[in-house]
This record gives sequence, structure tokens and C-alpha cells, in this order.
Amino acid sequence: MNLTALGAAIAAFTGIGAGIGIGLATAKATDAVARQPEADGKIMKLLLLGCALAEATAIYGFVVAIMIIFST
Amino acid sequence: MKELFNELLKEDKAFIHVPYGNGLFDLYKSVVVSWIVIGILILLILFLTHGFKVHNISKRQAAVESFVLWIRGVTGGMLGEEGVRYQDYMATVLIFICACNMVGLFGATPPTMDLTVTVALSLMSIILVEAAGLRKKGLGKWFKGFAQPMPVIAPMNILELAIRPLSLCMRLFGNILGATVIMELIKHVMPVIFPALLSVYFDIFDGAIQAYVFVFLTSLYIKEAVE
Repeated sequence: MNLTALGAAIAAFTGIGAGIGIGLATAKATDAVARQPEADGKIMKLLLLGCALAEATAIYGFVVAIMIIFST
Repeated sequence: MKELFNELLKEDKAFIHVPYGNGLFDLYKSVVVSWIVIGILILLILFLTHGFKVHNISKRQAAVESFVLWIRGVTGGMLGEEGVRYQDYMATVLIFICACNMVGLFGATPPTMDLTVTVALSLMSIILVEAAGLRKKGLGKWFKGFAQPMPVIAPMNILELAIRPLSLCMRLFGNILGATVIMELIKHVMPVIFPALLSVYFDIFDGAIQAYVFVFLTSLYIKEAVE
């Protein structure tokens, strides 16, 4: 069995954390906009920042997976 | 699958071979593509800004002026009052990364898919951040800033000097690489119509968002450094 493929698959599990993080951030942002519709500009900015930071972990996983596939 | 990755990642990156220094000074494809992007942007700017007047302005001038004011407002709002002097640099980086990410629309490989370009961009960002802090606070206060808010986390603050550019460059590189890989896969599976719909998301939307995020994070660091 080729174990490098398995390693890459495990690295791709970082997507779980990113998904949960972005979901939580979006849920809270929706909540906040529902409460204070006039502050949606600021909330949108913060949401984008939070999503970018949360998404970064998934991207790191992706980069690591590609490195695993190619370094062997 | 593996051939696709090989085609994307392991192809010969050198575009112009310099017959000196054993390949050390070869010009990469990404560099040449980014030169083309820069050339197109400069030509566009020269065309858009020729013959400006103070009174009785043309429609073109009004459009350009409102665009410049808008993009200065965007970057200046992110930088805050203290760092507003860096807004033009941030606007330039925003436009450049945006244009680079959207090169995929015309069938070329985006320059930001090469690590060398993103590393250069993030190094420029971290140097600007630290220079802004130095200029604002002076040498002594800048060194003291590493021990804020307490001396125990000084190693963390020093590590951040390396982590910030690393995360900036890896985020941009990974996102653009992922988008390009997915687009290539879709082009293999279904070459008609479908890629056009998805490239609206992967090339235009994702490219713009990633450029915005890069500039936003750099501005945030600058804002933090000059406070």
C-alpha cells in the first residue's frame, strides 16, 4: 500500500477545523447583523478577516498534502 | 491526476535562459507574466490619466478620480489615522495582486501561484510593517515593543516576525494554487460552458478576496505597529 497517499489524506483533515471555524464565524456574524443591521459594514470586514484566518489552516493542510505527495 | 500536478508544479519554470551563472539568473515564467501584468497596468494608467484638466473635466477623468478616491478610502480605512500615509502603497499592492490573480481568466498561469512572487510580496509587507514601527516609535521604543504587554511573551513577538510573512505568503500561494488546480481538473472533466461559470468564482471572486485579505492583514499589522 502506498502510505504517502494516506499521509496526504490525513493532512487534508485540517479542512474539518476550518469548516467548523468558518461556520461558527458566519453564524455569529448573521446573529450580529440581525441584532444590529446598521453595523453590517464593520461586521462584514471582521467576518472576512476571521474567515481568512480560519481558512488559512485548511490552506496549510492543502499545501502540506501537496508537499507530501511531491517530496516522495 | 499525477500528470496534471506534474504539469502544474514540476514544469520547467525558467522562461528566459541567461547564459551566465549556470542557471542561477534564469528568469522564471511567473516573473515574465508579472512583467506583462505590470506593463498592461502601466499602459492602462497612462491611457486613463493623460490630459487631465482642473476645470471642465471629461467623463474619463471623473471616473478615474472617483475610483482613486474609493480605493484610497478602502485602504485608508483599514490603516487608520496614524498609518494613512501608506495608503497608496497598499492600493498599489491591492491592484497588482488582483490583476495577477485574474490572469487565469486569459489562460495564463497566475504569477501568484509561484512561491517566489508571494514570498517577495510578503517580505515587502513585513519590511514595511517594521519600518513603519521604527519610523513612528524610534529605535529604543521599537525594541521595547517586543516586551509588550509583558516580557514573558517576548519570544512569541520575535517569532511573529517570521510567522507573519510566512502565513501571508502561504495563504496567497495555497489559495491560488488550489483554485488553479480545481479549474484545471474541471477543464479536464467538462471542457464546455461549465468552466466559464466556475471561473467567475475561482478566478474573479477568490482572486479579489485573497488580494483584499493580503492587503487587509498587512494594513492591520501596520496599524498595530504605528499605534
